[in-house]
Amino acid sequence: MSERLTLDPAALARIGNLELVARWVVEGFISGLHRSPHLGFSTDFAEHRPYVPGDDIRHVDWRVFARTERTYLKTYEADTNSNFTVLLDVSASMGFAHGGITKLAYAKLVAATLSWFSRRQRDRVGLVTFAEDVRDIVPPSARHLPNVLHALERATASGTGSLARPISKIAQSQPRRGIFLLLSDLYEPATDVLRALGPLTGAGHDVIVIQLLDAAERTFPFEDSTTFRDLESGERLPVSPGRIRARYVAAMDAHVTAMRAKLGGGRVDYRLVDTSQPLDRVLFDVLLRRAFLRTAV
Amino acid sequence: MPFLAPLLLLGLAAVAIPLLVHLVQRERRDPIAFPSLMFLERTPAPFTSRRNLRDPLLFLLRALAVIALALAFARPVFGPRPVAAGVDVRRRDVVVLLDRSFSMRIGDRWPRARAAVDSVIKRLLPGDRMTLVAFDRRARAVTAATSDAARLRAALDSLSLTDESTRLAPALSIAQQRLAAGDAPRKTLVVISDFQRSGWDLTDEARMPAATEIGVVDVGGVAPVADRAVRAVEVRRDRRPGPSQMLVSARLTNAGPAARGVAVRLEVGGRVIEERSVDLPRDGGASVSFAAVPAPPDPVPARVVLAADSLPGDDAVHFLLNQAPALAVLVLEGRDSPFLTRALAIGDTPGFDVTTRTPSRAAAADLAGRRLVILADGAFPSGIGAARLLRFVEAGGGLIVALGDQVSPRSWPAAARQLIPGQIRPAIDRIGANGAVLGSLDQQHPALALLSGPRAGDLSAARFYKYRSVDTTAGVLARFDDGTAALTEHAVGRGRVLTFGSTFDGLWNDLPRQPAFLPLVQQLARYAASWRDAPRALEIGTSVRPSDLSRDAGPDGARWIANAPSGARTTFGGNGAPTALELTEAGVHELRPGGSPGARPRLVAANIAPAELDFATFDVLRLTNALTSQPGTPGAARTTDAEAETLADREARQSTWWYLLLAATLLLVAESIVARRSVTRTPVLE
Repeated sequence: MSERLTLDPAALARIGNLELVARWVVEGFISGLHRSPHLGFSTDFAEHRPYVPGDDIRHVDWRVFARTERTYLKTYEADTNSNFTVLLDVSASMGFAHGGITKLAYAKLVAATLSWFSRRQRDRVGLVTFAEDVRDIVPPSARHLPNVLHALERATASGTGSLARPISKIAQSQPRRGIFLLLSDLYEPATDVLRALGPLTGAGHDVIVIQLLDAAERTFPFEDSTTFRDLESGERLPVSPGRIRARYVAAMDAHVTAMRAKLGGGRVDYRLVDTSQPLDRVLFDVLLRRAFLRTAV
Repeated sequence: MPFLAPLLLLGLAAVAIPLLVHLVQRERRDPIAFPSLMFLERTPAPFTSRRNLRDPLLFLLRALAVIALALAFARPVFGPRPVAAGVDVRRRDVVVLLDRSFSMRIGDRWPRARAAVDSVIKRLLPGDRMTLVAFDRRARAVTAATSDAARLRAALDSLSLTDESTRLAPALSIAQQRLAAGDAPRKTLVVISDFQRSGWDLTDEARMPAATEIGVVDVGGVAPVADRAVRAVEVRRDRRPGPSQMLVSARLTNAGPAARGVAVRLEVGGRVIEERSVDLPRDGGASVSFAAVPAPPDPVPARVVLAADSLPGDDAVHFLLNQAPALAVLVLEGRDSPFLTRALAIGDTPGFDVTTRTPSRAAAADLAGRRLVILADGAFPSGIGAARLLRFVEAGGGLIVALGDQVSPRSWPAAARQLIPGQIRPAIDRIGANGAVLGSLDQQHPALALLSGPRAGDLSAARFYKYRSVDTTAGVLARFDDGTAALTEHAVGRGRVLTFGSTFDGLWNDLPRQPAFLPLVQQLARYAASWRDAPRALEIGTSVRPSDLSRDAGPDGARWIANAPSGARTTFGGNGAPTALELTEAGVHELRPGGSPGARPRLVAANIAPAELDFATFDVLRLTNALTSQPGTPGAARTTDAEAETLADREARQSTWWYLLLAATLLLVAESIVARRSVTRTPVLE
C-alpha cells in the first residue's frame, strides 16, 4: 500500500488534463486497494423491513409478497444513484502557494479524482464553484462528469470568500439528498463555518469538508520583516515573522482544532489536508473515513 | 607587493556596500501575498534588529568577492620591485618600430604585429611617452612622442602594409635619434617584425643609447612559409625569320609541398595570351616558356600570373612588352671590313641599326637619327664636316675613332681637333716583336667592365702589331704594354668620344679573332652612345627621374605626373616637386609630362624586390646584440629574456589579476548558492 501513496500533487498538476489525471489516479488507486470492501459511496442490498403506511410502494418486494403474502420493503445501505456534489472555494486565498502547487490546483485534483471515483460508482456528479457567491454550477447528473471536469479546469482564484451565502443557495437548489464535498481553506471562525453548513446538514445531506492549507500557512516560515498583503481584501500589514511566528502557529493550530471539534460535533466529516501531501493518501483517508461513518450510521 | 594600478585599490571601499545595504535596509518593497491576515499581527521591524548581521557567511562571501575584484583591477605584482635598468615606475621613452613591408602580408603576421603594438600601448604607464615608427625600406615616425593612447591607436589604425622591401637601418636610426632626444630616465625600444635576413643592413652605428631596454616581437613564427611566386621574367627577341616577335619565359619558385598542374598565364595588354600548366617540385622551382608573341612597337603592359595562393602579392610579375629600340650607328670605314659591322649586327641588347659609309661619301644627312658614329680608320668625313660632327657630339651623340693607317694628324681639320683628346702620334710597328699586348685595362670603367666577367674573354690575349697612340694622360682606359694610350675617353659637350689606338678590321691586330672582340665592340658602342637599357620592369623602391624619361630633360627635369596602379597620383620633377618618383606599388605606373594630359603615357612596370621574397630570417639575438653596447660597458639592456623585465612585463607574465577574477567569480557563485538557501523563497501565485 505504501508504494501507492506517492502521487505527487505537483507532478499531477503538471499533467494539465484533469480527466486524465482523475482516471489515472482512480484506476491505479482501486487496483492498489485490491477492491477493498470497506470503501465506496454506493451500497448494496441491506435487509427487508415490514411495510408501514407512508412507504413508497415501489420499494415493496413483490416476490416476497407472493410467497408469504406479507409486504416487505427492500432497503439498501445507500442509494446507488446518489448525488455527489463538489463545493469548490475559488476565492483569491485559494490561489496561494509557497513553493508547491496552489491550494486551488490541489483542490481541483481532489475534486476531479473523487468525481471520477463517484461516477465509477454510478453516482451522479455535480460541481458548484463559489467565492463570495455562487460562480458556476454543474447540476448533478450521470452525464455531467465531463462538464464537471471542464468547469474545474476553467476555475480560477479571485474575489473574497464567504461560505454562508453560497451554501444557502446551494441547499435550496438541491432538494434531493446527496453527498457534498466542500473544498476550502476555511478562513472563517469554526462556528461560522458550522453555521454556514447548517442548511446542508439540516436537509440531511452528507457533508464532507476538506480544509486545504499550504504548509507555509501552518508553519509560517518567513524570515524578512516585510509587509504581508491579504490576497482577498488587499489589506497590508507590516510583520516581523520571527516575532510572531510562534503566536501565529498557535493560532492556526487552535483554528484547526476548533474546526475539527465543531464540525465533528456537527456530524460533518472534516479533514485537514496539506497541499504537499500525496494525493492518494488523501483519497484513502477520505474514503476510509466515509466508510467508517457509514458503518457507524 | 607593488600594484600596476594602485588607484583602483580604492575599490576596496566597496566592501562596505553589503554592510551599508544591511544597515539601511528597509522593509521589502514588494509585499508578500498571503491568503489571510486573520492570524497575523502588526509587528514593524525594529531598527536594532538591522544592526546585527543576520548571515555572517553571506556577508563574508560578498566582502571577499569585492576584495578580489578590487585587487584584480589593481593588477598586483608579486616579487620585489625591479631595479635593473632604471626604476620601473619612472617614466619611459618608448619607441616602437613596426615592420610593414611586403613579407608582413604572410599569414597573420600583420594582425599579430598590430596586436603587439596595441599591447605596448596598453602597458604604457602614466608619464610614458611612445613614438610609433613604421618602416619598410624606409622609416617614418608616424607619431611624435606622446602618452595619448587614443592618438597612438589612431596612428596605428592608419598604417597599412606596403609592397616595399625591408631595411632595418633607417628605422633604427630614427629610434636612436628619438631615444637620444628623449628626457625620460628610462628608454625602451620594441622592434616588431618578421626579421627577414634580407632586411639586415646594420652597422656599428646602430647601437641604442645607454640603458635602453630592447624588446623584440618576432611575428614570423617558426613554421616555414609556403608560397608560390613568379620570381623573374625574361623577354628575348625571337630570332626566327618573320615578323618581329618576343619570347617570354618566367622563373617560378615554390616553397612548400609539391604542387601539380599549377596554372600560369601570360597576359599582354590585359588579355590572356597563353595559359600553361606546370608542376612545381617541393621547395624548388620551374621555368615556363610561352609561345612567341608579336612585339608591339610601343610598350604595352604585360605580366606573368601564377594561380593565386595565400600570398597573392608575389604571384605576378609585371613588365613592358615591346620591340627593343635599336641603336642607330653610322659606320665610316676607310676599307671594307666585315668584322665591325657583323659584330654590331648580332647585338641584342640593344639591337644595332648599322649604316655603313665610306668617309668620302658620307653626308650630313647620314647623321640624322644616329646616336653613334664610328670612324673606323678612315679619312675625316668631309661630307659631314667638322662643325656638324662636333655639334652632333656636343648634343649627346657618340663618336668612336679607330686610329689606323688612313688616319693622320694632318687629315683632321682644325675644327675637329677637339674631338680627339690629344695629338695623334705616328704609328708604332711592333710586328717584329710578335706584336704588343694591352698592358693595363681599367676593368672598373663602364666601357670595359663587361670584360671583367668570368667568360667575357681575355682581351690581353690580343696582339697589336701596329698602333697609334694619342698624346694624352687623361681619360686613358687602356694602355699598350709600352705604356702608350690604347683607349681613351673624353667628353665633348654632352657626348662622348672614344679613341682607339688601333683598328677593328684585323689588319693591325688580331683583335677581331679574339672572343672578347664582340662584347668589346658592342659595349664600346653602347657606352659611347650613352645608351641605357630601358628595363622592362623595375624593383619597388627604384627612383625614376625625369631624365630617365626624356633625354631632353634638364638637370631638374620637366614636371611629370605619375598614376600608380592604385590610382594614387604623384607629381615629380620640376620646381617644388620631388626630383624623382619612388616606385612603391607593384604594377604598371603611367607617367605623363605635366601640362600634357592627353600625351601618350610612359609606362613603368614595378615588382616586389626579389630580396623581399626571400623569407629566410635571422636570429633576433643578433639584433639585440647589435643594438647593445659592447659587453662590459654600460649600454642597452636586452629584454628578450626575462631579465630586467618591467613591472608591466612581470605583471603580464604573472597574470595574477586573472586568478583573482576567477576567485571573485567562484565567491559570487558560492554567494548565490548560500543566498538561495538562506533567503526565504518568494510565494508564487497561480
